[in-house]
Amino acid sequence: MFHRFVDFDRTFNTFDELRRRIDRIWDDYESARPDLGFYASSAWPKVNVFDAGDSLVFRADVPGVAEKDFNITLTPDGLTLSGERKTVVPEGYSVQRQERPAARFSRSWTLPYKVDAERTQATLKDGVLTINLTKAPEAQPRQITVRAQS
Amino acid sequence: MSNTTAIQPGTKNQPERVEQRPPTVMPLVDVFENANELLLWADVPGAVRDGVEVHVDKGQLTLFARRAPEPGMEPGTRGAPVETEQRPYDYHRVFAVPSGIDATKIEAELNAGVLKVRLPKSEALKPRRIEVKVS
Repeated sequence: MFHRFVDFDRTFNTFDELRRRIDRIWDDYESARPDLGFYASSAWPKVNVFDAGDSLVFRADVPGVAEKDFNITLTPDGLTLSGERKTVVPEGYSVQRQERPAARFSRSWTLPYKVDAERTQATLKDGVLTINLTKAPEAQPRQITVRAQS
Repeated sequence: MSNTTAIQPGTKNQPERVEQRPPTVMPLVDVFENANELLLWADVPGAVRDGVEVHVDKGQLTLFARRAPEPGMEPGTRGAPVETEQRPYDYHRVFAVPSGIDATKIEAELNAGVLKVRLPKSEALKPRRIEVKVS
C-alpha cells in the first residue's frame, strides 16, 4: 500500500517539475528582454494572492507609485485595484533610456469569500502593496471538535 | 513492507536534488543625464536596503538586489498561494560605465522599491565656460 502511494507521489512530482520548468521559460524570456517584459506580461502590476486562513492577502509589485496614486475599491464580492504610475523625469535632465513606463492600471478580482470591509487594510512598503482582507466570520475556517461517544 | 519507503520518496539510484538559488531577473531601468551626472533608476520592488549591492569594477557597474521572501510563501508559515504571477526572484543587472565617470563618487539610495544610482562625471569632462577676456 505504501509502495503504491510512493508511485502516485512520484507521478505528481514529475508534473510539478514540468510546471517549474515551463514557468522558468517565461521568466527567462521576460528577464532576457527587460524592455519587453512589461508588455510581455499581460497584467500590471503583478499580483500574488494568498489564503492565510482567516484572511486573504493580495501583494502587488508597484515600485515608484506613491500611496496617494492608488485607488482600492471593495464591493461585497469583488476587489478593484487601480491607479497610476507617472513617469518622472528629474528637472533639468535629458532621458537616455526609459524602460520603466508610465502606467494607468486597473485590475479586478472576484472574491471567493465574504470579507469584512471594516477590517481591510492596505500597506505600501519597499514598492510592494499589500492588501489584507479579513474574511467575514461565516467564511472563517472553523475547528470542529470530535466528541467520542461511549 | 515497511513505512520507510513512504518516508523516503524518490528513487534510490538518482542523486538528490539540491535546490539552486532561484534565477535572477533584470530590473527595468531609466537613465537620465545632465551636464554633471548620470542618474540610473531601477525598479526593484521588495528589495530591502541590506540586500542591495552596487559596485563598480573594471568599468562595469553591477546592481544586485536581494528580494525578501514573501511572508506567505515561506515554508511552514500559514498562507497557501491562491494565484502566483510573480516569484520572488533577486535582481541583477550589469552596465558598462562610460568613461569620464568618477567611480569614487557614485552614490545609491533605495526609495519605495526604486534603486537610484547617481554617477557623477569627473571634473575634466564637465562642460566649462571659458571667459573671454577683453584686452
